[in-house]
Amino acid sequence: MARFVFARLVQSLVALVILSVVVFVLARATGDPLHLILPMSASEEDYANARRYLGLDRPYVEQYVSFVGKALTGDFGTSLRARRPVGELIAQRLPNSLRLAAFAMTVSLLLAFPLGVLAAVWKDTGVDRTAQVIAVLGQSLPTFWVAIVLIEVVAGRLQWLPAGGIGGFTSYILPGFTLGWFVVAGMMRLLRSGMLEVLDSEYVKLARVKGVVESRVVWVHALKNALIPVVTFAGIYFSILVTTAIVVETVFAWPGLGRLAYEAISSRDFPVIQAVVLTTAAIVAVVNLSVDCVYAFIDPRIRYVR
Amino acid sequence: MSAETAGGAVAASLPAAPARPRAGARTRRLPLFALSVIGAFVLCALLANVLSPADPEEQSLRQRFTPPVWEERGTWKHVLGTDRLGRDLLSRIIWGSRVSLTAGVLTVLLASAFGAGVGLVAGYHGGRVDAALMRITDATMSFPVILLALILAVTIGPSFVNVVVAIAVVLWARYARVIRGQVLTLMELDFITQARIAGASAGRIILRHLLPNTFNTLMVLVTLQVGYVIIVEASLSFLGAGIPPPTPAWGSMISEGRDFITSAWWVSFFPGLAILLVVLAFNLLGDWLRDTLDPKLRQL
Amino acid sequence: MKLAIGIVALVVALAIGASPAAAQGKPDLTVALSSFSTEVLDPVLGGHVVKYYMSLMFDYLVGVTPDGQLSRDTGLATRWEPSSDHRRWTFHLRRGVKFHTGDEVTSEDVKFSLQRAIGKRSTTGYAGPLRTLIADIETPAPDRLVIVTKDPTLIIPTYLSRSLSTEGMILPKKYIESVGDDAFAQKPVGSGPYRFVEQVTGSHIKLTAVDSHWRIGVPRFKTVTFRLVPEETTRIALLRRGEVDIADVSRERVKEIEREAFPVHFRREEAILTMWWILPRDNQPTKDKRVREALNLAVDRTEVAQSIFGGYADPAHVPMALSWSYRDIGFKPTPEMQYPYDPARAKKLLADAGFASGFPLTVYAYQLPGLPEGKAFAEAMAGYWQKVGVQPKLVPVDYPAFRKNWFDRATPGAVGYYNVANRDWIGTYAFLEKQAYSKSKASDTVNDPEIDGMIEQVMRQTDKEKIGVLMRNVYTRLRTESYGVPVVYLHSPYATSKTLGKWNPGSVMYDFFIDELASSKR
Repeated sequence: MARFVFARLVQSLVALVILSVVVFVLARATGDPLHLILPMSASEEDYANARRYLGLDRPYVEQYVSFVGKALTGDFGTSLRARRPVGELIAQRLPNSLRLAAFAMTVSLLLAFPLGVLAAVWKDTGVDRTAQVIAVLGQSLPTFWVAIVLIEVVAGRLQWLPAGGIGGFTSYILPGFTLGWFVVAGMMRLLRSGMLEVLDSEYVKLARVKGVVESRVVWVHALKNALIPVVTFAGIYFSILVTTAIVVETVFAWPGLGRLAYEAISSRDFPVIQAVVLTTAAIVAVVNLSVDCVYAFIDPRIRYVR
Repeated sequence: MSAETAGGAVAASLPAAPARPRAGARTRRLPLFALSVIGAFVLCALLANVLSPADPEEQSLRQRFTPPVWEERGTWKHVLGTDRLGRDLLSRIIWGSRVSLTAGVLTVLLASAFGAGVGLVAGYHGGRVDAALMRITDATMSFPVILLALILAVTIGPSFVNVVVAIAVVLWARYARVIRGQVLTLMELDFITQARIAGASAGRIILRHLLPNTFNTLMVLVTLQVGYVIIVEASLSFLGAGIPPPTPAWGSMISEGRDFITSAWWVSFFPGLAILLVVLAFNLLGDWLRDTLDPKLRQL
Repeated sequence: MKLAIGIVALVVALAIGASPAAAQGKPDLTVALSSFSTEVLDPVLGGHVVKYYMSLMFDYLVGVTPDGQLSRDTGLATRWEPSSDHRRWTFHLRRGVKFHTGDEVTSEDVKFSLQRAIGKRSTTGYAGPLRTLIADIETPAPDRLVIVTKDPTLIIPTYLSRSLSTEGMILPKKYIESVGDDAFAQKPVGSGPYRFVEQVTGSHIKLTAVDSHWRIGVPRFKTVTFRLVPEETTRIALLRRGEVDIADVSRERVKEIEREAFPVHFRREEAILTMWWILPRDNQPTKDKRVREALNLAVDRTEVAQSIFGGYADPAHVPMALSWSYRDIGFKPTPEMQYPYDPARAKKLLADAGFASGFPLTVYAYQLPGLPEGKAFAEAMAGYWQKVGVQPKLVPVDYPAFRKNWFDRATPGAVGYYNVANRDWIGTYAFLEKQAYSKSKASDTVNDPEIDGMIEQVMRQTDKEKIGVLMRNVYTRLRTESYGVPVVYLHSPYATSKTLGKWNPGSVMYDFFIDELASSKR
């Protein structure tokens, strides 16, 4: 087991290194940040000075090596736009994204569970159909549109909830729901099909024959078995929530990592672009690794890669 | 966003569960609704220049924000109303089906072709080849699609090609993982071992034995993902990296109308409805395909 | 299972924390903006800076009134006078002004701030001209400062005032020298009526009032917070909920907001939306004046103003003409200067110039801060040009990408635009010196030797009358040669809460006088 974990860890690191090169090249391809930092009247000399000051005039290979070297010690450089250490910017914004993702995940699970189970138990009834509709809508409406409609109606007109910005508990509700809707949809479908399969199984039939109360059959015996894929999906969804929140963050003025990436790309802020992409990749890698470990634990067969 | 396909990546590294066909699975009815919706929009896409009542890019500022015909200021000249620059909405939706459907289908075909190729090769060879390919796949999968599209948009300017490339470049990894998982299972089967003993070349085994058996999975994935691509294009438009104006694309149409959902609701509503119907139809079709072709794929 | 879920939910809720308590006593002011130009709070090293929040934290050497007139009441200098040869400018400074650290403001601080502003690393808009102009800065007394210039000049007080950029902001020498530039940017200290409290990049900037300030007395608001809210629907929802007091809104939604009785304040003619062609013109159809004129005649400015800009814009007919300068230089556009909407004549002119079947024209389309209609506007222009036979090709980019193309001259003849902030005559001169003067190389859009000559003369002039004549001639020539496509003057709307009261946002570039709003001397 330990060998498996170690091997996968090394492989994840390799993946990260490949990614760091790719993002280094991509970031620099976006353009020249000096056009935005220096005023229009700046002369050639001003540009040269600024380039030297910011370390942008060194050869690319040298810049990359310096970037990696510093990154290993935790120094991700200085943001060209904000003149602050990149690490500080990320430390400021990442928790906001994580908290929102955690909230969205929790709410989604709270909604998906009852809906999924009941949709299976009461298959083809009104409840089932409603659940299906909710699932479909969650996967076929663009996020920004849902967000804007919610803000306009729930926050602006009805004034039930805050319209944006990070604040107390209530400020998490609209963005969390918007972000998590597709998770509800996916989880619910999984649970429903999982439950349908289990409810049909010998194991459940036996329980019923033994006289177990129906509600226990459903909520304890069946659910336990249908849960396995759901639990593993939860991890995947969480990393998706963290990495694709940019639209929700923009509409709700939520100062998270996605928005930081957008600002960095708009202002051609290379160090920040690199750091954000690598951070999100690291998060995804950690989640993937954990999920794979859980699987390896459950099923020893897949530990041995051919 | 089809979350199931993300999970499929993980599920596929499990050995497939023993088949247990659900009652009635084989005798499902054809999904008429889904097929007719898709058919209708495909027709729009193919015959746009015939069906469209007006030039989708012709603007007339004096007629901006005309409401649909059944509202007070509506007119039959613009059945579904006009947008911010006075362009006819119905025409733009008809022409938009060409753009959006092509984007969706093309992206998915590209991603699946490349991804399946990688998955087949990785699964067949195993060992170091597999490990190397999978690490590249992992690296790709962890790059956020939206950020990549933004970077491309900012570097070479947003365009139809950029959207397709940006999404395909990240999407192929999911296919690769799923197909590889399937291939790993297939490789255990007798007929593959026999083929190898018989001296068949790698290419022959891959193309003649492995690929046809993964085809079902591919079909299901492809169908389910078309909707996802169209939705992502909408998000990209919102951020300024989608298919740019004046080309009519449903995603950018919704984005352009988002400031007017109370004053000129039709500008965002009708393209949104189009996306909803198309994505719904593709999802239903994909579900039906999965249930008919191979219920084992329920985790897709 | 359910219990577990319940516990998880509870823990999550607690971890997220309770909402902040409401403020007691004096009200707080919250302003929601669609963009912050820069989030580096250093007036000199921060890149392109708007003054909305800066002029609350810092004082200026020379103050202005909301309509842009230099004022002795709102700046550190209580009076100033030039020597007879206009080479020595003496400023008499107010006494007893203190920085937020408690140190008193002296001429040493002013000298330090100025040197920093014109130093090599400065990124302010007018550092260049000031650097070439200023020879020395003397501090004969703690309350007196003398600026010695290389050439005679009139512009020093205006350049160091609030009407332009941030070169005139007074920074604390002792504090900056002890903590360094980076620490200063993270915790700025000034002498203005509001003190820095906290900044979360990408989210907000929060300032708190000092007890009393010479500019505004006791500040009416306990805190002022600027929030970054990119999405307009969200800004409007925040206004409806009372979470913000001021929000910038797009022109297209003004009527919707006014219908709900929210007051909307306008900064009239806040900017001119003007288009130009990337140089060089040598091999381009726009080499021919008739083509340039035709492209102007093809555009229906009134329709654009009424439709895309919701009526909150007025047609503009002189390229790059900044109307807030007209009063100072005595310029008034004549009726003959107006471009009529005449597509027929436009087609004829194109045919005369040899382009009866049109020509390809690249039109860049991008959004700009304060111009959410940017892309729609570019599309509309392309539409007009298409109707007279030109073949416009719309190229969507973001502004930094356009600027690169513009400066690199990668696509000569292509059309770009900007909503140029309106300003007084000195600012206008500085702007023309960048965009209408061939020696400014990359940023030039005109390349006309006659205009070059006139601008150079303004540089050396000290007689206001003569300057007026020169600048009027520059504008007239810009118009007669059609060196651009001016479209509209934009009025910018700011929606406020119903209880905000009277507010004059003023007509000074990149500032809206929140301190006046907070003043108890109203």
